[in-house]
Amino acid sequence: MKNIVIIGGGFSGLATANHLARKINRKKVKITLIEPKEENIYEPEYLFWVFQDKPISNLLKPISKLLSKEVNWIKNIATKIDPEKNIVTIENGKNILYDFLILATGARMAQEKLDAYCQTDNVCEFYTKDGVEHLKEKLMEFDGGTIVITPTTVPYKCPPTPIEFAFLLDKYLRKRGIRHKSTIRFLYPLSRAFTMAEPAKKVEKLFAKRNIKFTPFFNFETIDNENNKVLSLEGEEIGYESLIIIPPHEGQDVIKDSGLGDREGWITTDRYTMKHNEHDNIYAIGDGTNLPVSKSGTVSHFSSNILVKNLISELKGKPPKAKYKGLTICFILTSFKKSMLLHFSYNYPPKKYGLNSTLLFGLFKKAFKFAYFKFLIKGRL
Amino acid sequence: MTDYEIAIEVDARGAFCPGPMMELIKAIRQAEVGEFIALLSSDEGTRVDVPAWVDKAKHELTALINEDGFDRYIVKKLH
Repeated sequence: MKNIVIIGGGFSGLATANHLARKINRKKVKITLIEPKEENIYEPEYLFWVFQDKPISNLLKPISKLLSKEVNWIKNIATKIDPEKNIVTIENGKNILYDFLILATGARMAQEKLDAYCQTDNVCEFYTKDGVEHLKEKLMEFDGGTIVITPTTVPYKCPPTPIEFAFLLDKYLRKRGIRHKSTIRFLYPLSRAFTMAEPAKKVEKLFAKRNIKFTPFFNFETIDNENNKVLSLEGEEIGYESLIIIPPHEGQDVIKDSGLGDREGWITTDRYTMKHNEHDNIYAIGDGTNLPVSKSGTVSHFSSNILVKNLISELKGKPPKAKYKGLTICFILTSFKKSMLLHFSYNYPPKKYGLNSTLLFGLFKKAFKFAYFKFLIKGRL
Repeated sequence: MTDYEIAIEVDARGAFCPGPMMELIKAIRQAEVGEFIALLSSDEGTRVDVPAWVDKAKHELTALINEDGFDRYIVKKLH
């Protein structure tokens, strides 16, 4: 009997566990998932939740309903991995042996840094449940002034999100009749408003049309809470009435403590095979990797399919030949209804068909939640 | 002649999002002052972006080496 152990029960871990459970011979292979949380949350919806009164129950599903019954679920935290002895240690001190390990540990919001930044209640974020609730309140109180939006680190989950937030904020303030006395400033690390040149041109055009002010080459350094200023690595200072940050992201402590990542704990992963760069029986998937691709659900989905193929080949004694080619599909919302669609890979930049913002792509974005819980997380596509 | 030791090498070939510049910024944040970073990029836009950002952020573009189908940027973290 071979043991496959998966650490992490976010989207990547659950989808991979479920997909494997469908494909492998259960008499010969045991699959174990280590995840302490009871629920999975549909994170892309946070963005809408800031502006709309939706109950949080819409975003949550119990893991017990999402995970295949064929998978052994250990509700605990992995604290250490010994890749030489093939052992995962969990918080209660128990050791779990593996033949193959899958790291689906995700990105960690660096709460200690976030707490240091958010010393005043006019500094907000929308990447956590509490953050969304707080921002929602602050926006309702907002009656004009300058709102500044900026990432605090790279990489962060879902690269278009701060742009989408700026577009939705513009619509929201117009609806409330206070846009004329509000300034929206968008600060971004690059010379353009998005990572890729062609979509960035479209975004900058819309920013100009909607009077969203863009500051290029602004790499967040810290916040001067006393004087309501945000400071950059490049030495600039920008004042605000309200500051909305994308929280600092890092790799998980278990990766750092086990020497399986780079200096920030991102798992060093082969971009094609999804294997760990140094350990042949360890795979990695999702937001916790150091792959040069977006930290997004579609990347996890497409690369999970490759990981599963390669692992099954190895279980059959064959070499892992499947290659993830960087396929990514993501959206950039430009309003509550319209979206662009970006379809690209390691080999080609975003296809032109998706670069115009349309209602159809907006509908796709909204329909994604249905596909997420119904098919994708269950490893059915 | 090379008189630098690379502390962090980032292979951003084929990376469109977050892309080579973001990978370089990530590496600069991870590096210690005085360390050298090697960035591998096949994106032509990087030839404009990297020198412009390195200049603005007051680091040092130590070398730009054209290799087969990609460029290797050597950047030194100065502060």
